[in-house]
Amino acid sequence: MLRVEDVEVRFGGVQALKGVSLEVPDGALVGLIGPNGAGKTTLFNVITGLEKPFRGRVLMGDQDVTSLPPHQRARRGLGRTFQRIEVFSSLTVHENVLAAAEARRSWGRDEPEPARSASELLERVGLGDVERERVDKLPTGLLRLVEVARALASRPRLLLLDEPGSGLSTHESEALGDLLVDLVRDGRSILLVEHDVELVMRVCQQIHVLDFGSIIATGTPDQVQRDPVVQAAYLGTSAA
Amino acid sequence: MTTFLALSITGLVVGCIYALTACGLVVTYTTSGVFNFAHGAIGMVAAFTYWQLSVGWGWPAPLAFLAVLLVLAPLLGAVVERVLIRPLYGAPIGVTLVATLGLLVTLLGVGFLVWPPDTTRVLPKFFEGHTVTVFSLVVDYNQLLVIVTSVVVAVGLRLFFSRTRLGIAMRAVVDDPELAALAGTKPERVSQLSWAMGASLAALAGVLLAPLQTLNVTELTLLVINGYAAAMAGRLRNLPATVAGALVIGVSSSLVLGYAGPQVVNYVRPAIPMILLFIAVLFLKQERLRAGSLAGLRMPRTTGLRQSVGVGVVFVVVAGFVSGQLSPAHLAIGSQGLVLAFVMLSLVLLSGYGGQVSLCQLTFAGLGAYAMGKTGGGALGLLAAIALPAAAGALVALTVVRLRGLFLALATLAFAQAMDQIFFNHALGYGGTLAIPRPRLPFVDTADDQVYFVLLAVVLALGSVGLLVLRRRAFGRRLIALNDSPAASATMGVSPVRTRLVVFTVSSAVAGLGGALLGGLHGSVSPNDFLLLNSCVLLLLATLGGLYTPTGAFLAAMSYALFPELQKLVPELGQVQFLLTGLGVLALGRNRYGVGGQLADAGEKLRALRLQRVGVARAAG
Ligand SMILES: Nc1ncnc2c1ncn2[C@@H]1O[C@H](COP(=O)(O)OP(=O)(O)OP(=O)(O)O)[C@@H](O)[C@H]1O
Ligand SMILES: [Mg+2]
Repeated sequence: MLRVEDVEVRFGGVQALKGVSLEVPDGALVGLIGPNGAGKTTLFNVITGLEKPFRGRVLMGDQDVTSLPPHQRARRGLGRTFQRIEVFSSLTVHENVLAAAEARRSWGRDEPEPARSASELLERVGLGDVERERVDKLPTGLLRLVEVARALASRPRLLLLDEPGSGLSTHESEALGDLLVDLVRDGRSILLVEHDVELVMRVCQQIHVLDFGSIIATGTPDQVQRDPVVQAAYLGTSAA
Repeated sequence: MTTFLALSITGLVVGCIYALTACGLVVTYTTSGVFNFAHGAIGMVAAFTYWQLSVGWGWPAPLAFLAVLLVLAPLLGAVVERVLIRPLYGAPIGVTLVATLGLLVTLLGVGFLVWPPDTTRVLPKFFEGHTVTVFSLVVDYNQLLVIVTSVVVAVGLRLFFSRTRLGIAMRAVVDDPELAALAGTKPERVSQLSWAMGASLAALAGVLLAPLQTLNVTELTLLVINGYAAAMAGRLRNLPATVAGALVIGVSSSLVLGYAGPQVVNYVRPAIPMILLFIAVLFLKQERLRAGSLAGLRMPRTTGLRQSVGVGVVFVVVAGFVSGQLSPAHLAIGSQGLVLAFVMLSLVLLSGYGGQVSLCQLTFAGLGAYAMGKTGGGALGLLAAIALPAAAGALVALTVVRLRGLFLALATLAFAQAMDQIFFNHALGYGGTLAIPRPRLPFVDTADDQVYFVLLAVVLALGSVGLLVLRRRAFGRRLIALNDSPAASATMGVSPVRTRLVVFTVSSAVAGLGGALLGGLHGSVSPNDFLLLNSCVLLLLATLGGLYTPTGAFLAAMSYALFPELQKLVPELGQVQFLLTGLGVLALGRNRYGVGGQLADAGEKLRALRLQRVGVARAAG
């Protein structure tokens, strides 16, 4: 589904990504974890086209999309949420998702009833009873769910989620985990960035660990948890 | 050869002045992040103040010079920063832009008020009569003074920004205010300083420019705009490139003026800096879409379809009733307000919903009027009045569509000014007028002023309801989504370019139709009706009224149209019209949604209150 090859990003003197390669197979739920500033969000920006890599390629299926603008990539089946929330603050919760469904209708031609789809999606992420609220009245945790619903409204085949669980209660975060498992069962692929390690360990089949712009480990949750390099990276940053 | 050299020297002098003004812009912009549209106006006020002190009150010229440059101008800059700019840090570009436009208009008001244009004021050149001869070329001391001053200032600025702690801190503030704060510099202080310096440089440019021509409030204000292109050459950051750009502009326009035939000179010369500005803006590398964009303004809730249609019908009925009661003079005022409100709807669509700032709406209005005037008032005329501005709008949009915020504003400014100079002045006859027929309709006699008034009310009501319908449909949502978060819109597959193109085109068509109706109202239009400055005032007023609602547009347009009437009651008011408008902008710091936004807020509160009461009554019953 998605292949990232040898991506390097520089911000002035800072090398935010130093030759990162990873793959998200069809129908897989892959985790991407790493300490603060590791480069996770930057990698998402490169994949979605918001950041131009200094070197490297991004492939969807077998198509090289490195030079496509963000909206073209979205039309090829890429959806995402943002760590720093990017909701449409002048619109209601329902309209936020509706706008995406309508966009899907205009370029995908397979969305007969955007308004209903939007309501269903909101129901699914657990926001059914606030759909008429203006989005700026909601707490941040719920805004992340609005973003998830909005991303789903574009019917992406690959979904990139940037810390969807932060700001959620334990209960809500469990529901989110179940939702993710459901989505993958429906045939979507997901790349999940999340600080809530428990959530990641529970739902992901495979995990990549990013530290200082490099992938330092890849494996199943068990493998990653036992990896001494990973432990060092996490202990290192938490001790600092 | 001598001609060439002489022309080059003249151009060099003008280029130096552009360089000074452009450097001021860059210093303020890089440090405070706000582009000061009033930069030229500050130069104008400084030049007049200098005239007042030296010629009016007879101070020795050097003393007056120093007082203006080192005391009054920096003080003005510092006060402006404190009062107007500081509350707006972090606000979207639309807001800061309107704030500095407001300052521009305020200063124009001050200029007209304090130095009424009925007397001619001339500033003597510095060292009048003294010349030196270099290689058989006569250079006067005034020219030398300009060149030497510019070199000193340029070198001084360079040293300041690279060698002094304060200068380095000023550069750091833009890149990272928090970091600069950690390093012990207060970001507010530093940007206040940059406003003081910017104002001082503007003043220097104004004072040096003034002796080269007679003192004229608007001309001095706008002439300094020519420095904008130079500032763009340095991408608003790089001082050496800015200076180089300014010199190239000065010398090349002087050479064109000297060598080209009078034909070209009349048509093109006044527009050269604008054309260069337009090109410079286009070549600027645009920032990429970014996540974490500034939080936009949140628009007031929109009214429901039934409600807005209801209001529209009532509006037309009231207009029909009122039209019978008004005297011809009042009818004319009312019609003027209605048609201006319609033109402003184009801004509600483009800037309010779409978040794109345009300073050329009246240019499109002018094109609409022109098309109508050339084709007659029939169906063809109406069609042309919509199609020509739409086509022009689409063309402009195609070239500027990648620009956002400030750069879009500057490009539209350049377009408006260039059109003033190249097109309107000739197409509508130099200082002359073009007759514009009223649209001919079946069954109604539009030649009757009363009928025309009602017709305008109908058009405005239709336009407003249409806008609200659009706002509630998919296209409206897409537009607002794009404005609130370009990054998120793109990741749901929305092409930002296409959406902006469409909205720019539609908005130009609306403005064009409005322009044709405006022309029909008065029977003719002249080049002065569509000046850049008027476009600025239009945007200003629309923003004050509230860019997000047709109601706001209506209120703004009506108060604008009513102004001459108030003036009859209080004659002094005419002088302070600009001043009042400008002062209104100060209120923007408190409420960024304008009057219309405030009304919508109040309406929402009222509704909430009523629902609450109903709830209480239910609970009690
Ligand atoms: N636009 C930018 N300009 C300069 N540096 C940046 C920019 N964006 C990110 N960085 C830097 O790149 C590095 C990676 O940042 P990124 O946001 O990708 O990390 P992250 O893994 O998402 O961290 P977090 O867990 O805190 O979200 C950091 O050092 C950050 O400071
Ligand atoms: Mg991140």
